[in-house]
Amino acid sequence: MTRLLSSRNCLGMLFAILAVLPMIANLYVTFIGNLALIYIVLSLGLNLLIGNAGQFALAHAAMYGIGAYATGLLKIDAGLPYFIAAPAGALAACAIGTLLALPALRLSGIYLALATLAFAQAAVWVFGHWDAVTYGAAGFSIPPVNFSPLPLRPELGMYYLSWLVALLLLVFAWNLVRSRLGRALIAMRDNEVAAQALGINLLRHKAIAFALSGFYAGAAGALYAGVLNFVSPEGFGLFQLVIIKAMIVVGGLGYVAGSVFGAVLLVVLLEAVRDLPSLQEIAFGLVLLSFMLLLPQGLVGSLRRRFPGWDEPRHVSKAAVSRILKAPAVVEVGR
Amino acid sequence: MLAYLVASGITTGSLYALIALGVVVLYKAAGVVNFSHGEQIMLGGYFAYSFYLLAHLGYVPAALLAVMGTAAIGLLTFYVGFRPLIGQGMMSVLLATLGLSFLLKGIARYFWGGAGDYLAFPPLLSPQPVDLGIIAVLPQQLVVLAASGLILVSFALFFNLTRMGKWMQAAAGNIKAARLLGVPVERVFLWTFAVGAALSGAAAVLMAPLTLLYPDMGFLLFVKGFAAAVLGGINSLRGAVVGGLLMGVIEQLGAGYIHTGLQELSAFLIIMLMLIVMPRGLLGGPEARRV
Repeated sequence: MTRLLSSRNCLGMLFAILAVLPMIANLYVTFIGNLALIYIVLSLGLNLLIGNAGQFALAHAAMYGIGAYATGLLKIDAGLPYFIAAPAGALAACAIGTLLALPALRLSGIYLALATLAFAQAAVWVFGHWDAVTYGAAGFSIPPVNFSPLPLRPELGMYYLSWLVALLLLVFAWNLVRSRLGRALIAMRDNEVAAQALGINLLRHKAIAFALSGFYAGAAGALYAGVLNFVSPEGFGLFQLVIIKAMIVVGGLGYVAGSVFGAVLLVVLLEAVRDLPSLQEIAFGLVLLSFMLLLPQGLVGSLRRRFPGWDEPRHVSKAAVSRILKAPAVVEVGR
Repeated sequence: MLAYLVASGITTGSLYALIALGVVVLYKAAGVVNFSHGEQIMLGGYFAYSFYLLAHLGYVPAALLAVMGTAAIGLLTFYVGFRPLIGQGMMSVLLATLGLSFLLKGIARYFWGGAGDYLAFPPLLSPQPVDLGIIAVLPQQLVVLAASGLILVSFALFFNLTRMGKWMQAAAGNIKAARLLGVPVERVFLWTFAVGAALSGAAAVLMAPLTLLYPDMGFLLFVKGFAAAVLGGINSLRGAVVGGLLMGVIEQLGAGYIHTGLQELSAFLIIMLMLIVMPRGLLGGPEARRV
């Protein structure tokens, strides 16, 4: 019986529900479902970087913004169709994400976190102030995506496109963590020196981890630009970062299924308290804080302990979670 | 122009020095960075505003109460975001204090400000500039300079002369040895959080008459304080002061001569550059990589 309650079945069920959602729900709920799909892509990418590769970077929201901006600008300024602009946007975020691996070679722990955060905030500043290219703080709007050969309205088309992208990237991540590359990333997370001794090239694997996570964030940004038809710097700041971070902490660091469930749960919470920005902040702060204190393994981590049939990969143990969080400091204090 | 920019850079820089000092003390003694540091500053400003304007206390009692209030927030941070996570690594403290920072920000927004509400703290002294030979400065700037100098000196005395200060140094030097020698390490951490928060409260009450109060003000100030700490060397107390003053002057000169955007951007650029090129900072101690 417990076999029924496995993360593969739960994920399948969730995507089946999301597939029929536009047929049974109104436009508003469909839009929320679409947001959830975008956040699933975002948190999958961040969890690969932090949970699996152990690189504690805080630039994910900026990568998301770069994907959205690149897609939108390629569409309205270069006149490219969405289906060319969107992959290009994702690749742009992927390229810039790869460059972030360079500081990650020298820095770890808190230093990496703050250097990438500084980069992210600088990027948001550029979105808002480089008026000639990004249209400044007011943002810009994009014409709706044309699905013309298919008989789809733009909203519905974007919904199913997001569904498909999220599913593909989920399957990719699911297989990646079980592959040779995924195990190499985990080895690097758990002990860099030991990983190097096993012949794992740190530069290459850090670059791959940052590139993958940048690609996921960029793809999410491209979807976001298509769904909202509007891009402005507001959506990519610190609060966005905390939302995505809270998703993977709630779902479970290092669990592919955790990224998905955390994203869906927090999107629902976000909508429930949407009317008051102060309540949103209080709710998210409390969620992040209480999960760190009470359930650092996240929902999937504790599910896996309760239900022996829960088929998560074995790579994530309690010890591994504490290793993710215990990234060593670069500077040992007070010598 | 140059003299004016340098003077106002040193004024804001002395406030950054106070913030950076809090960052460094916490990093040295407890080995963590508190992400809700900026929210302590923001709350300090709101406390001062409430005591001064709503409770009609004088500026000095209001300032003292506000500093005590932020120290209490520091104790809260210790009990909620640090003590339960001892031994679980600095990243979990980072995430927990990130959660706490949003909690505090949300609470402040709920009580003091709606969307985009800015509160103005009335100027305490006449806004008439004082002529000091080559430059003219605002009286409030002189007060800020004098007060932060006083706070820095008394902090140095506390750190070097009192027993708690010496315990803090011992804990910063080698936590295991300190514990073996009977230093009550946990109490030292508690005091470290309180002192760091009190420093940010002091920065807040000095800053309040020069600026506007709004719930999102904290993060940028924290980033500037952190940039100052990184600039001076994150494990050097003297470095924090030097870094703070330099940070203030750099951002004023950058904003004045190159582009006004550098006022906001310089802290991020300095963090990125320093961490990549010179992670030890100007006055930081030797670097040791933990394996």
